[in-house]
Amino acid sequence: MGNNSRKKMYLRMITSSLIRRASRLIIAVLAIAIGATILSGLVTIYYDIPEQLGREFRSYGANLIILPSGDFGITRADIDKLKNLIGREKIVGLAPYRYQTVKINEQPYLLAGTDLHEAKQNSPFWYIEGDWQNVMIGREIAETLDLNIGDTFTVKGVKYGEQAEASKQNLSAEENKTRDFGSQNFSKKLQVKGIVTTGGAEEGFIFSDMALLNEMIADENFKADVLECSIVANAEELNELTNKISEHIPNLSPKAVRRLTQSQDIVLGKLQALVLLVTIVVLIITMISVYTTMTAMVAERRKEIALKKALGAENKFVIGELLGEGILLGFIGGAAGVFLGFEFALRVSLNVFGRGINFQWALIPITIIIFIAITVIASILPVRHVMDIHPAIVLKGE
Amino acid sequence: MFLRMILKTLARQKSKMLMIAFTVVLGVSLSTAMINVMLGVGDKVNRELKVYGANINVKHKDAAIMGELYGLGVNDKFLYEEDALKLKTIFWGFNIIDFAPILESKIILTAPGKNLRAEVPINGTWIEKHAILQTGEELNTGLRALRTWWDVKGEWISENEADLNSVMIGNSLASKYNINVGDALRLSSNNGVVKNVIVKGIYNDGGNADEAVLTNLTTAQELLNLSGKISSIEVSALTTPDNDLARKAAQNPSSLSAEEYETWYCTAYVSAICHQIQEVVRDGVARAVRQVAESEGTILNKTTLLMILITILSSIGSALAISNLITASVIERSQELGLLKALGAYNYQIILLVLAEVMLTGLAGGIVGYFLGIAFAQIIGQTVFGSYIEIAQVVILIVGIILFLVTIAGSIPAIRYLMALKPTEVLHGK
Repeated sequence: MGNNSRKKMYLRMITSSLIRRASRLIIAVLAIAIGATILSGLVTIYYDIPEQLGREFRSYGANLIILPSGDFGITRADIDKLKNLIGREKIVGLAPYRYQTVKINEQPYLLAGTDLHEAKQNSPFWYIEGDWQNVMIGREIAETLDLNIGDTFTVKGVKYGEQAEASKQNLSAEENKTRDFGSQNFSKKLQVKGIVTTGGAEEGFIFSDMALLNEMIADENFKADVLECSIVANAEELNELTNKISEHIPNLSPKAVRRLTQSQDIVLGKLQALVLLVTIVVLIITMISVYTTMTAMVAERRKEIALKKALGAENKFVIGELLGEGILLGFIGGAAGVFLGFEFALRVSLNVFGRGINFQWALIPITIIIFIAITVIASILPVRHVMDIHPAIVLKGE
Repeated sequence: MFLRMILKTLARQKSKMLMIAFTVVLGVSLSTAMINVMLGVGDKVNRELKVYGANINVKHKDAAIMGELYGLGVNDKFLYEEDALKLKTIFWGFNIIDFAPILESKIILTAPGKNLRAEVPINGTWIEKHAILQTGEELNTGLRALRTWWDVKGEWISENEADLNSVMIGNSLASKYNINVGDALRLSSNNGVVKNVIVKGIYNDGGNADEAVLTNLTTAQELLNLSGKISSIEVSALTTPDNDLARKAAQNPSSLSAEEYETWYCTAYVSAICHQIQEVVRDGVARAVRQVAESEGTILNKTTLLMILITILSSIGSALAISNLITASVIERSQELGLLKALGAYNYQIILLVLAEVMLTGLAGGIVGYFLGIAFAQIIGQTVFGSYIEIAQVVILIVGIILFLVTIAGSIPAIRYLMALKPTEVLHGK
């Protein structure tokens, strides 16, 4: 008998013992697969929680405000540099704002020129009656001026770079007219497309597209007074980012919105702790129950082992066979479970967050190895006294 | 005879039955813990989200937003301080976690011995007010709990008599004029009232408040000669995320039918709470701070959904594990059951016997598991949120039904196997 045929015999014993007990085999693989599904699914979700929930927390609005350090405003080139520095995939919204004082019925109001699409990304909590487009007015203004959607109003102001002439008491009517309608001034009729309700200061603003504002004030250059950014990052990352920005783009001075960053860290920390604890509890319980199922399945094999021993099998051989079976079962169940678990995690992520999920590929070997270990331990422990098994006693049924 | 047989099996098959019971204990405790946590998580997370500060702002109905835009609401419209406590008497008073009346204006800041003179915003408020309501209920509230993100150098001022002459200032103001904790300042108002105060703390808000001086409400009222008056109230309330009804009502409560109105009024929607606040605060208009209110809803809904899905997964997992084990253990006993059959037992008798055994074991395991699950839930509650998770009675019913179905489901393959059992073959050992 060569070494080769011994190996063949070993393989045949394992496979035949598995096939003979087809129904038990299904049960065992099922138990392992369930455990592996839960393990890989939950761990995947756990690792993805900070990223996913962090994005949800962006619904609180901009967490980084960037002001120009000098008097020159922020240019498009600055914004491009900034976007590259932050990393585009981390930016939820980045809206430039340019403020201009305008007059409606001789009352002063602030008109904010912005990128309306980015503003929407930044502030999903704004409630807009009508449409989110050029031009929207704050609810306070709508109430004060009694404006509804579709109504028109006229804004007046001074063009960019020009000086408004101060009112003088001794101005004649003619002079007053030149003052109001001179080339340094502008006047434009706008239509209300949306009314903004936020419960905050925004309700006193008029929002228009940056291009429209620039056209009105006759300044072709893009120039923002402030940038509001909504970035997926925790307080620490945001701090690093502000340092990096001030270092690389010295004409910008970034400021993290402390209220949002601090609070996000607190709440997100709690939620993560919750998922972690839940994951641990679920995993412990699942592993134990996989273990008990496996134990129940192999306990009856004392008889079989005794018979083998009676027929002259060595202890080493018996244990080797059990090991082989355990590894095979653990591998099949673990592999099936990992993919089911990934599928589950993906479904959860799509359902809850509406986004895909980042798989932790390292989980595949880890899960399989863990479940092979559980299966092997569960197969060997119940018959651990293989050495002590006295064939005669066991076979007699005592 | 039947009873004796069951008891005998239970006793004889001790280790097997213990194994089933043990798995049931694990499965049931897992489901119990998860469902309890899931049901309680909304409330807990809602409380955690209170760190974002007020979600409702009450102002005088004529106070223009202009104040916010141009620096200050220098106007003569005020609310009454005494109305603030009435907030706790509204229908949803219990959901109001914290509130702080605020009087804001501008004062002249000077410092003895320093070349400093500036007009700065002043906010007078309750810091940590202890009040007793007419109902006898005691209450602690104030701005401190609404500003969890503040980083304070020095100390918070308190409501003590001694602190009426202490102030806190924002860090921008402090660095602009080089003011430190412990410095003496002089506050004077347009009415000619002058107060000498000590800087007790310097706070970092990261917003506009960093330019301002913060005092006790009484101090500000005396300075400005506005006793009993406040400009606004910040309110932090536990709310239910908005749905279509709430949105409809927020537009115009009178557009609702009587039935809808009742549902709306008796649900903790932010619009319903605002509506009720307006009923008790004279001349007040309560507005939801959408940045906080709306985002809370988003986070709450997502977290709850996530927990539901995790609960479902783990419950399915433990159900499968239990049913799996039952199948395994019944099949293992084929020899014994084959013998019963050979001795003339009918199929239904054997099935009844098996079911009764399994059910008894499951019941015992279920009871132990339920209490273990409650313990798990409390461990999670204590560790994560530092508070107990309320135990929902309905969980007993849910888990009970699941367990019953799972036990039956687990026995079905075993029963089918038993029906097909040929005594001779089994006993022969094939």
